[in-house]
Amino acid sequence: MRSRRGARAAVVAAHLLALIVVPARAHDFWIGPSSFKPAPGAIVAVHLWVGQNFVGDPVPRQSGAIEQFFVRASGIDTDIGGANHIDPAGLFRAGGDTTAAIGYRSSGSDIELPADKFEDYLRQYGLDAIVAERARRGEAAKPGRERFFRYAKALLTGARSDATATSPLGFAYEIVPHDDPPLPLAGPLRGFILYDGKPLAGVLVEALWRDDPSIKLAMRSDAQGAFTFTLPRPGVWLFKSVHMVRAGFFSSVDWDSHWASLTCEVPKP
Amino acid sequence: MKRRAFWGLAALLVLIAPLTPSASRASDHADPLNLTDPNANITGLFIFPKDDQYVLIFNMRKSLTNAKPYNLGAYEYVINIDLTTPVTFDSDEDRARYGGTIPIPDKLHPDVTIKVRLNDDTTLKSIDYTGLRNTDKIRTFSGVRDDPFIFPRFFRKKVISMVMSIPKNAFPDGQQDFILWGATYGNGKLSDRVGRSIRSQLPRFPLLNFYDPKDQVRELTKAKDFLDKVANFLDDKKEWWSQAIAGLLEFTFQFRKYDLAPDVMIFTTRFPPGYPNGRQLPDDVNAIQCRTGDCLLQELSFIEGGWPRATKNDKEFLPDFPYLAEPLPDSPERVRTDSIWPYVIPVIIVFAVLTWGLVEIIWRLIWWLWRTIKFKFRRKLAPA
Repeated sequence: MRSRRGARAAVVAAHLLALIVVPARAHDFWIGPSSFKPAPGAIVAVHLWVGQNFVGDPVPRQSGAIEQFFVRASGIDTDIGGANHIDPAGLFRAGGDTTAAIGYRSSGSDIELPADKFEDYLRQYGLDAIVAERARRGEAAKPGRERFFRYAKALLTGARSDATATSPLGFAYEIVPHDDPPLPLAGPLRGFILYDGKPLAGVLVEALWRDDPSIKLAMRSDAQGAFTFTLPRPGVWLFKSVHMVRAGFFSSVDWDSHWASLTCEVPKP
Repeated sequence: MKRRAFWGLAALLVLIAPLTPSASRASDHADPLNLTDPNANITGLFIFPKDDQYVLIFNMRKSLTNAKPYNLGAYEYVINIDLTTPVTFDSDEDRARYGGTIPIPDKLHPDVTIKVRLNDDTTLKSIDYTGLRNTDKIRTFSGVRDDPFIFPRFFRKKVISMVMSIPKNAFPDGQQDFILWGATYGNGKLSDRVGRSIRSQLPRFPLLNFYDPKDQVRELTKAKDFLDKVANFLDDKKEWWSQAIAGLLEFTFQFRKYDLAPDVMIFTTRFPPGYPNGRQLPDDVNAIQCRTGDCLLQELSFIEGGWPRATKNDKEFLPDFPYLAEPLPDSPERVRTDSIWPYVIPVIIVFAVLTWGLVEIIWRLIWWLWRTIKFKFRRKLAPA
């Protein structure tokens, strides 16, 4: 009885948390494998998606935009092959014996937005510190010139757990679970936000449920870069976060933004 | 990554090498490759239900018109049937293309094996069954019949055919799903394979003939990765011709996203029979296959055939065993006598002479420059 009440409370809390989340721009990028539980030897089609609220359009492979695209299992990285202009962007044979992580890192792409739209988007993604920084620099009325980098991850369930799930892939910006999410969890899902390999505090992290993206949770990472979500439903979840820093002196843009995502299937406890 | 792609481009030549006429094992019905071992050449695998029987047909020897006898003593024709590896039918795409999905191809194995040897007059020399019950009730036929393939080039042609009518009770009770593939062995050495019709004869698939079905997806994945890297490398370049080569690769040798499946024929009693759920004799496999993206043979049937395109065999099939149509009278096969080498060798010689001349000119030029510079320096440095 107590656990049922607890679950109900978690759902209510999740909905309340969802209310504080503002609408997202069509900037989110995530990995949607054909199966989160591939059998050993099965072919996994890796779809890349861009959109908002876990609803998006497939992104065909464009090798010129890819810096890294691989699957890590048992500590071994294997490139994910695929043909340009084709969705799925990659295909690989699953090992299936341990939890595996698919990683995608894009090269940088430049974008310029009018000042008002840029500031709106900064606020939508919880980047209020950048809004303040632009004001301090007297750039609030200037267009936002940005180079964005994408770091997407997906975890595949294997026959047994593996440190791959809870280890960083080495991306500049990354969401790293504290536990292996595909394993049945007794408690909330905890994780860390890492920037350049170090915990990053105060950044907005959102969690969306694929079956009903209106179920959306959000919080900011704590001083240790940690976050904790009590997921109200099992199923496929997308965790995402954006971090922005001032671009280098010689850069042709003003800001570098880093977009991290993690998709995984959380089983019933 | 780019360096690997560059070397991959060079290695592409090596990959294409098996498509040259020297490849002896790569073959299928309308395979454009030269067949050095025609009696081992599989031209068709069929399975369909008929009353309380399953009819299994295995055909050999494309474009046959010659009279008997043939030199068949060295060959063993083998049909394998996997009755236990799981097949799923959730994917409409896979059902349309392959008849179903084999989620774990690594597990493919034969539960039933039928091995056939023929005499040179095509009569049955021996047939061995493994994994079947009531084999004494199996009705067999072997002989020359009309080629049932609906394709203009093979109308009025014959095949060497093996037909088996197998009682359903020869299989385990309630058996619904069957995974089949065939192979021929010449003097014990693998010569050819067949699975789903008209697959291994497509230009990108010769490698299927070299591997067991359980290993094919692994090998296809490797080959796909390699060719994708080469094509992406070319596609990413600004030169039009580089992109044009990438485009050419895309519809010729580059593997497609739906290619990573083993080359087997799936037949299930869950759905009505007919290609790609097994294959029946009247099935217009080229037209059916074209609906799912592989239209090469469909185009060729338009190119080589008349209008409207033939959608059934040139001879009526028999209503009863052995179902295949009677063959046309024998006629001598066309033997090509002209060779390409008298044309190729002079071209090679001219190319070699031109190359030698160019190298000689460059070499002499460098030598002359070197001597001139050396001479001038010596004069400058020499004491007055």
